[in-house]
Amino acid sequence: MNVLPARTSSVRVGRRRLSRDERLGYLLILPSLGAVFVVVTIPFVLVVIQSISSEDGTLIGLRNFTRALENPLLYDAIRATAEYTVLVLPVEILLGLSFALLVHRTVLRPGLRAAIYVLAILPLVVPPVAIGVVARLIYAPGYGVLNVILERLGLMHQEVNWLGDPTLAMLAVASVDVWQWTPFVYLVLFSGLQTVPRESVEAAQIDGANWWAQFRYIDLAYLRPLFVLIIFFRLADVLRVFDHVFILTGGGPGTTTQLLSLYMYRVEFKFFDAGQAAALAVLVLVSFSLLYSLISRALPLERA
Amino acid sequence: MSAMASGRFLRSALAAIALALAGVVYGFPLYWLVVTSLKSKGELFASTVHLVPHNPTLAAYTSVLIDRGFLVLLKNSVFVCVSTVVITLATGLLITYPITRLPLPARLRVNVLTWALSLRFLPPIAVVIPYFAIVRTVQIYDQPIALIGIYSLFNLPFAIWMLKGFLTEIPLELEDAALVDGASRWIAFWRILLPLAAPGIMAAGIIIFTFAWSEFLFALILTATPNSQTFPVGVQGLVTQFEIIWNDMAASGVIAMALPLVLMIIGRRYIVAGLTFGVIREK
Repeated sequence: MNVLPARTSSVRVGRRRLSRDERLGYLLILPSLGAVFVVVTIPFVLVVIQSISSEDGTLIGLRNFTRALENPLLYDAIRATAEYTVLVLPVEILLGLSFALLVHRTVLRPGLRAAIYVLAILPLVVPPVAIGVVARLIYAPGYGVLNVILERLGLMHQEVNWLGDPTLAMLAVASVDVWQWTPFVYLVLFSGLQTVPRESVEAAQIDGANWWAQFRYIDLAYLRPLFVLIIFFRLADVLRVFDHVFILTGGGPGTTTQLLSLYMYRVEFKFFDAGQAAALAVLVLVSFSLLYSLISRALPLERA
Repeated sequence: MSAMASGRFLRSALAAIALALAGVVYGFPLYWLVVTSLKSKGELFASTVHLVPHNPTLAAYTSVLIDRGFLVLLKNSVFVCVSTVVITLATGLLITYPITRLPLPARLRVNVLTWALSLRFLPPIAVVIPYFAIVRTVQIYDQPIALIGIYSLFNLPFAIWMLKGFLTEIPLELEDAALVDGASRWIAFWRILLPLAAPGIMAAGIIIFTFAWSEFLFALILTATPNSQTFPVGVQGLVTQFEIIWNDMAASGVIAMALPLVLMIIGRRYIVAGLTFGVIREK
């Protein structure tokens, strides 16, 4: 994968051309990288300045931070985000893993596998806002179809207010995430299972290994790096969830489904408290960079 | 032998049931969205809810697109997304071409890639707060350019990783042959590398388009009027302001989904690669 040493040692490339190519390389890459760097950095600098200033621009030290940290709503938001993550990640990983194993072991026709592949990528490209609409058509009081179905099946005799009860609302919001992102987990793990060498599976079968032993001692070894990958991407996504919750519950009832991103949105654009919002943004950016540097080390990404 | 065969039969029957169940759970919400969008206003308030369409009508679609003027929002969305794709791909190529084809230090390459990956972890809400202030200061609030800028930035990491993957797959020898024959770097890029990388670049473009199309938070904050509002903002407005007319709401949901789904069919082989920064490659 590392193309560069092969190139520099290549005999065909003369010294002069090489240095010209190098210069061309820097000429192309530096302005674009520089521009991106500036565009990324300006907001960071600005948000730090904003976080230590008052509305009229005078520096007030860390007062915005103490206000942000003393606000009990922040801890509601952190708790909601933690609940959401804890609900969503294990369910998605377990469901995705089960289906990956199921399809890998029992669906052998290539046509059917291809069809399942297409169906699985479907939810991944659908706008979360549209999924929020779908979720409202299912859960909303008055016209939500879930109540109708449960009633027709005889499972329930009175309307359930799915979005009015704190626990049910959190479950409803989490179910939407599970619906949209389990296929992602499935796709990653399924393609991981394709890399398991047939010989080791056959050898295990000859030795009389049952399916659990096969999974435990062979498949899992190939899937382990992919779990890290899934947790990385899903964690990055879960912590930025906004759209479908905004549409489905708007953070309610009360603040039970007000995840961190919804809370910050409210502080800035509903309470118009720019100082506190900036302090929150700085806190989030710092903790996310820490989280990122912790988790990215374990990533099975090609690095060079 | 027969015990094994019946065991296998039982297993595949159970598997079929599980898959069918998953199919229903996955399919029903989308089915219900489409069915609702085909209902007439009168049918919404009928005392019994029909789970299959009776007298389907496209009235909700004309109501959304024409009467409510959402056609303009669709146009905004397409404009913003196409511009984002062009800018992101151009910037992505300017960054990935040198690090994959030209003799730059390997450390630079690694640093660029890790840095791009770290941007993937950046929470949009923390960025939009200062970005909002900037947009107001330079007076591009409620203008498509504000969205195009931030979308290009947020999609650049994907573009860099995907383009890097596609470019490294093309053998250097092909270009070198042309260079030896006296072609310029530009000709070698334009006539040899670009055509070979075209399918990959197309796929990256499709994915970026889909992401930009789906984006909602930035659009909600940075736009205010149909001058620059994108389609998802309109959909949200239908939910929060006119919820009582939920067939229109459903129709807007179907419209929002339609284009990404069609594009996904074209770019399906690359979606997972794109979502995982090229770690997972589908055959």
